[in-house]
Amino acid sequence: MDPLALFTLQVLNALSLSALLFFIALGLTLIFGIMRVVNFAHGAVFMLGAYCGVAVQSATGSFAASLLAAPLAGAALGLAFERSALSRLYAREHSAFLLVTFGLALALTEAIRLVWGADARQTELPEALAGIVFVMDEPFPVYRLLLIGAGGLCWLLCWLGLQRTRLGLLLRAASQNPTMTAALGNDVGRVRAMVFALACALAALGGALAAPLLSASLGLGSNVIIDAFVIVMIGGMGSFIGTVAGSLLVGFAQTFGNFYVPELALGMTYALMITVLVLRPGGLFGRPE
Amino acid sequence: MNITRRPALAALLAAPALSGISRAQGQPLKLGVPTAMTGTWAALGSQVVRTCRLWAKAVNAEGGLLGRPVEFLFEDTQGVPANCLRKAQEMVERDRVNILLGLMASSEALAVMPKLADWNALFISSVNGAGSITAEAWVPNAFRANTSGPMGARALALWLRNSPQTDFFSLSLDYAWGRSSVETFEGLLAGIGKRSIGSVFAPVGTRDYSSFITRIRQANPQALYIALTGDDGTAFLRQAAQYRLFERMPVVTETVDMLFTRPAGDAAIGLVGGSRYSFAYDHPANNAFVARFRAEYNELPDTYDGEQWQALEVLRAAVLKAGATDTQSVVAALRDLELNSIKGPLKIRGCDGQAEQQGFVVRVARREGFPVPAPEVIATFSAAEVTPACRASNFT
Repeated sequence: MDPLALFTLQVLNALSLSALLFFIALGLTLIFGIMRVVNFAHGAVFMLGAYCGVAVQSATGSFAASLLAAPLAGAALGLAFERSALSRLYAREHSAFLLVTFGLALALTEAIRLVWGADARQTELPEALAGIVFVMDEPFPVYRLLLIGAGGLCWLLCWLGLQRTRLGLLLRAASQNPTMTAALGNDVGRVRAMVFALACALAALGGALAAPLLSASLGLGSNVIIDAFVIVMIGGMGSFIGTVAGSLLVGFAQTFGNFYVPELALGMTYALMITVLVLRPGGLFGRPE
Repeated sequence: MNITRRPALAALLAAPALSGISRAQGQPLKLGVPTAMTGTWAALGSQVVRTCRLWAKAVNAEGGLLGRPVEFLFEDTQGVPANCLRKAQEMVERDRVNILLGLMASSEALAVMPKLADWNALFISSVNGAGSITAEAWVPNAFRANTSGPMGARALALWLRNSPQTDFFSLSLDYAWGRSSVETFEGLLAGIGKRSIGSVFAPVGTRDYSSFITRIRQANPQALYIALTGDDGTAFLRQAAQYRLFERMPVVTETVDMLFTRPAGDAAIGLVGGSRYSFAYDHPANNAFVARFRAEYNELPDTYDGEQWQALEVLRAAVLKAGATDTQSVVAALRDLELNSIKGPLKIRGCDGQAEQQGFVVRVARREGFPVPAPEVIATFSAAEVTPACRASNFT
C-alpha cells in the first residue's frame, strides 16, 4: 500500500472514531459543566441508544427512524431521571450523585438484559450507506464518512447553540453562577433538566450511530464510558472546545497506536491523559480546580 | 413457649426422614453440573443447562434411566477453577453425586480431575478443549465426549492443505487463548507447506478494528486466520465486511460458533472454520436431536447444546451397558464404548478416554429456511485423521 494512501486511510479511520466518541463525551462534559454532576450512567444511555436504534430499525425497516427514536428515548429517560432523582440531590454533596448515577447504570444494564436478552443485537445498514468509496484506490466505507460528517455537524450545531442563542447564553450563565442566574429570574431547575435530557439524547444518538459498527451488546456501555471520561479529563472538565480536542486526540492515539504498537495501544490513551494532566492539571482547556 | 415450639421442631426433624422414605421407591439419579452460569462464559453455560434439562425431560418421559428418574443439580462456578472445585466437592459429599458433567473452562476441569479418584466420582467433558486433559493430565475417571481444541485445529489444517493460498496472516485477541490459537495455527501451517507472513494481537474489548483492517491490507496476505470471540469477533466481522476485506482474501477461524457469527449477520458469510458441533450435520440422529430441540426451545441448538447432548448420550449408553450407576461399573462400561451419536459413529477409546469422532469443516453461508447466515459442512474427516495418538495433545 502506498504510504500516503495508508496515512490518509488512517486519518479517516481516526476521524470516524473521534466522531463516535465525541457524541458521548460532549454530553458528559455538558452535564459536568452546567450541573457539576459526574454522570456514570452515560455509557449505559449510549448502550440504550444502540439497542433502541436496532429495535426501531428492525420494526420499521428505516435506519433514519432509528436515528430519530434513539435520541428521543434518551431524552425522555434523561428528563425523567433528572426530575425524579437528581433534582432532589442538588443540595447534597457530590458523592450522592456518584451513587445514584452509578445505580442508574446498573439498573439500565439489567433492564436492557431483561428486555432484549444477553445476546448482541444488530441490523444491516441501508443499501445507500453500506457502500464504499475509493480513497486513493483503497476502499473506504461510506458509513464512516457519514459518521465524520455527523460528528462535525453536531459540533457545529452545539457551538452555534451555545454561542449564538439566548438558550446558550442561559446555559453558560447557569454554568458560571447558578445563584446569580436564578436571582435574575431564570428557572435554573428547568435549565438543568433540559441539559441532562439533551446530553442523554446525544449519547443515545451516538449509540444508534455506533450500532452498525459495533452491534448492540451488553458490554458496550462500560466499555465506552472509560474513553469518554479520559476525553473529558484531557480536554478539561466542562470545556466544550476541550471535548472536541480530547475526542480527536483519543481517536488519533487509538487508531495510530493500534496500527504501530498494538500491544501498547491501550496504555497510550492513558499515557496521553497522564501527560496532559501533569502539564496542565485542569486539562487542556479547563481551569485547575 | 418451649412447649409450643417442641412439636414444630419434631415435625422439622421428621421431615427429611419422611421424604427419604417416599424417595426410596424411585431413587432419582442425581447428576452434578457445576458450570458457568454467570460471568464471561454465561452464554455457553446457558447452553449446557438448557440441554441438560431437555435431556432429563426426554429420559424421564421414557421412564428414566434403569427405571430411575434423572435429576440435575446445577451450580454456578463463574468459570473460576476454585469455585468449580468447591461446588463439585459439595455435590459429591453433600448430595452423594458420583457423575459430574458440563464443566466450562479447561482450567476448571484440570482442577477437578486430580480429585476424582478420592471422591470415587467420574467426569465426562462436553466443553473442555485443552489437549492436556487426555494427555499429561489424564486420569482414569475422566472422559472427553467432545472434540478437543487440537482435533478442531487438525480438521482445519487438513482442509487448508488442499487450498491454493500459501501466505497467511493472523489476527487474534491479546490473551492466552488467542495467542495459543495463533501459535498452534502457525505450527500447522508449517506442517502443510504454507507460511505465516505475520500476525497482530488486538486488546480484548477493542471496538474499532479499522486500524487492524488497514494493517491486514498492508500485509496483503492470501488468506487471513482469526481467533476472536464474542463481541470482539462480531465487531471485527462487521467492520471487515464494510471495508470489503473478504472480497480480497478468504478468512478462516479455529471454531465457527453461531454465538459469534449470528450477531455479525451477513458479514459472517464466507467464514470457514473447524466445527465442534453444528445443527447443519446431516445425520439422522442429529436431525432428530435438532427437531426435538426446536420443538422445546423454538431455536436451533448451538455448539455446546450439541456437545452436551452428545456427552449425555455417552453417559446413557454407558449406564445401560453397565446396568448400574456406581462409578466403577460406569467407568468400566465407558472404556471402548461405541455408539451412534449426533456427530456420527463415536468410540470412547480406553487408553485416554477421548471420544474418537469425525472432524468437520464448515463455511457460513446464506441458507434456505434460516433467518441468518448459517454454517454448512464443506469437509468431513474420519476419526483416524483428526484424533491425536493416545495420551498425546498434538500431532507431532
